[in-house]
Amino acid sequence: MGTLFQSAWQVPFGAFTFRIDLLSAVFLVAITLLVVCAGIYGAGYMRAYAGKKPLGPHIFFYIVLALVLVVIATASNVVLFLGAWEIMSIATYLLIVFNDEDPAARKAGFLYLVMAHGGTFCLFLMFLLMAHTAGSMDFDMIARAQFPPVIAGTVFLLAMVGFGVKAGFIPGHIWLPHAHPAAPSHVSALLSGVAIKTGIYGICRVIWMTGGLPEWCGYVLVLTGVVSGVMGVLYALGQHELKKLLAYHSIENIGIIALGLGSGLLGRSYHDPLLTMLGFGGALLHVVNHSIFKGLLFFGAGAVIQKAHTGALDRLGGMAKNMPVTAALFLVGAVSICGLPLFNGFVSEFIIFFGLFHGLGHLPLPGAVVCGLAILALALMGALALACFTKVYGTVFLGEPRSLPAPERVHEVSVWMIVPMMVLAGLCLVIGVLPQPWVRLTLAAGAYIARALPSGVENVLAPLAMVTGMAAIFLVLAFVLAALRRLALSGLRPMALVPTWNCGFSGGTGVAPRFQYTASSFARPVMEFAKGVLLFRRQAPSIAADFPGKADLHSSVHDASESMLFYPLFRRLTSLSRRIDINRIRYTQTYLMYIFVFLLVLLVWKLK
Amino acid sequence: MLMMVFDVCSHGLLVLVLAPLFVGVIARVKARFAGRTGPSLLQPFFDLRRLFFKNSVYSRTTTWVFRAAPLVVFAAMLALSLLVPLGISRAPAAFTGDILWLAAMLGLARFFMITAALDTGFSMEGMGASREAFFACLGELALFMNFITLALLAHGFSLSGMIGVDAPLSWEHAGPALLLVAASLFIVLLAENCRIPVDDPDTHLELTMIHEVMILEHSGIDLAYMLYGAAVKLLLFAAILVPLVIPFRTGYPPVDMGIFLGGVTGMAVLVGVVESVMARLRLNRVRNFLLIAFVLAFFAFIVGLWRM
Repeated sequence: MGTLFQSAWQVPFGAFTFRIDLLSAVFLVAITLLVVCAGIYGAGYMRAYAGKKPLGPHIFFYIVLALVLVVIATASNVVLFLGAWEIMSIATYLLIVFNDEDPAARKAGFLYLVMAHGGTFCLFLMFLLMAHTAGSMDFDMIARAQFPPVIAGTVFLLAMVGFGVKAGFIPGHIWLPHAHPAAPSHVSALLSGVAIKTGIYGICRVIWMTGGLPEWCGYVLVLTGVVSGVMGVLYALGQHELKKLLAYHSIENIGIIALGLGSGLLGRSYHDPLLTMLGFGGALLHVVNHSIFKGLLFFGAGAVIQKAHTGALDRLGGMAKNMPVTAALFLVGAVSICGLPLFNGFVSEFIIFFGLFHGLGHLPLPGAVVCGLAILALALMGALALACFTKVYGTVFLGEPRSLPAPERVHEVSVWMIVPMMVLAGLCLVIGVLPQPWVRLTLAAGAYIARALPSGVENVLAPLAMVTGMAAIFLVLAFVLAALRRLALSGLRPMALVPTWNCGFSGGTGVAPRFQYTASSFARPVMEFAKGVLLFRRQAPSIAADFPGKADLHSSVHDASESMLFYPLFRRLTSLSRRIDINRIRYTQTYLMYIFVFLLVLLVWKLK
Repeated sequence: MLMMVFDVCSHGLLVLVLAPLFVGVIARVKARFAGRTGPSLLQPFFDLRRLFFKNSVYSRTTTWVFRAAPLVVFAAMLALSLLVPLGISRAPAAFTGDILWLAAMLGLARFFMITAALDTGFSMEGMGASREAFFACLGELALFMNFITLALLAHGFSLSGMIGVDAPLSWEHAGPALLLVAASLFIVLLAENCRIPVDDPDTHLELTMIHEVMILEHSGIDLAYMLYGAAVKLLLFAAILVPLVIPFRTGYPPVDMGIFLGGVTGMAVLVGVVESVMARLRLNRVRNFLLIAFVLAFFAFIVGLWRM
């Protein structure tokens, strides 16, 4: 049931099976869309490097990454899946370190490699456990096996760690805010749009394969989503760098997806088919939506950074006048990611909210309380995302240029970069205004994760139809108001454009660019409020004399899981490996001998 | 179909008429407290008419976002008004989950309001925008906590059902919870509409600087749209609160409508009284005020669970 395509690849000792079912299909849509768009965008973006750097390896690994992403989404065999997974990690690493003359990029790449392999280690254990219990390496066979609760629980936890690192669940996310800004923008888009979603795909696949998970798994997933989502957006709000901010927003959106999946899992555990379908389906729709608008936002950010040569928010400003098309498209992405009506982000959040409100009334007490918590978290994330993206849009595109660059030198980017953005922005609007077909597909896929047929889809489609109608009414009203304004103004003498009034403080000269409110100031109230959880640092000199001289102010937000969990851990590991350094193996031959001995031991063990 | 169009139009007309009147009542109450006669109740209409026929001045710094904001704000509020029942009748466009659309539409209006403020490049507008964004986060939490409690009490999540328009909520059964919800929603009303003690609607000076400062650069018909939108928003919040606190029905539509209008007037008087007798809170206290709203709603949730 649900299988759309199946084919076997004959290899020695068996066959690798490729299979496309509804779950794969949803991810394939996102992958294909973004790989193509990012490819076209990259063709324009990499022009700037032509002749300066060899582009061949970059293009080669881009194609490799695109292929293995497809393999991951369609593989139906443990070995094939893990093989593709490893190639993905390496290809991604090589794409991240494209700017290898930059130490930050090298460091980011290495951090990614370490985290990815740490995660893969858990995946090996997990698949070993599953394959051992089921007695087969094939996903289909594993899905037919019965898992005892202890095994199922262990598998789930290993998946949460192994796939969670790739997806960017807090605290396994620490590679993400370093890798995304370091990579070229189309790679960032691909990373954020689909590469991290492979982690989500893995978790979905595990949920599908292990038919019954213990109840606590749903709670764990929801709470992980709540923490990742709220902390992700708070960290994002504290960032001063455009692409780093977007990277933290990916963590937020992964949190929303995890929250949806978790509520679906709760629904499955408590036998509530509607909540199951809405939770899983809403999460899957958000996977697609997020890859669309996050791709769009990274493309926009890349365009700005390429033209302004900086991503520092407090140096930018007024870009909308030089890059009107990019600015308008970025606005579409910003409104979408805030989950506001007319655009696609609202639809998936609506479905997840809908499921949670349903769960509130239909689950037993602990489930209902967790649903309530999830609703609050989702609402808070929405409000914080709004604060964050008004900050980004307001400081990057609006107002006057703050310090960089000279505005007359900034022009619109090439058509290669505009067209993919237009496609993605168009999709944001289409899914937002006419969500029905997409919702049907993802809800069917959502039910498929729980191995059920979709039922009660009308419960959510009818309200969505009303949403569409209301959106139409809103648009008509806005047009009527615009026409009315035009009519009212047409009878009057047209007014010349003037400098900003500024309450008359500047004497009619308009705003001084450096006097504008900065992104850091904009975010400060929230940062001050949340400093208990954020490690918010602010260094300002105290004013001592009557005529204070020059002063500097630094404010920054530090990632707790980075500075309090992983870096101490890495330091501990380094010192540990230093200590056993005495017996360090110096020669390759010794390594080879160890491998040979190990294989021999395995052979003897197998033969006995 | 014709009935529906009639419904929508009459509803919209009622909103357009009531909203400025509501503001007028508040101004009158405040004037009486200050020992003045106060302006006519229709003064907000005169103000809007005056602005409507004035020219709009635009800054060279601004982009189309600045010009789109008044349209989005006013259109969003008008579209929202179709979800909020006025008096006896179900709202013309009630549906399951409409509270989500309501919250999101408020968010859309806020998004454009804030970006328009940042578009001017004027630092005071930026300051107001920053505060608006922050207080909205806490306000949203309180609002959704109330929604959760009401959804639990009303066994559904359509606004008309949740505030007891379809069937009056039972104060006998859930009185304490509803009392807490009403108090919490009233705080949200004050905060969302930038009234004292959160913000002072009469001034844009440094100490207050939230809503009024964000529309400083808007002029003429744009300002009229912004002000009208704000008035409609205030009315809608009051219209949500009234059926909750007046949970009975006589069964005669005109009488019920009268009760509703009386309730809305009472709400306007209450806002006016609060504005007259309270001082504006210090800005760093506002967040505590909003957290009180959240905590009240949270207690209501616990009480609601207890009674279930």
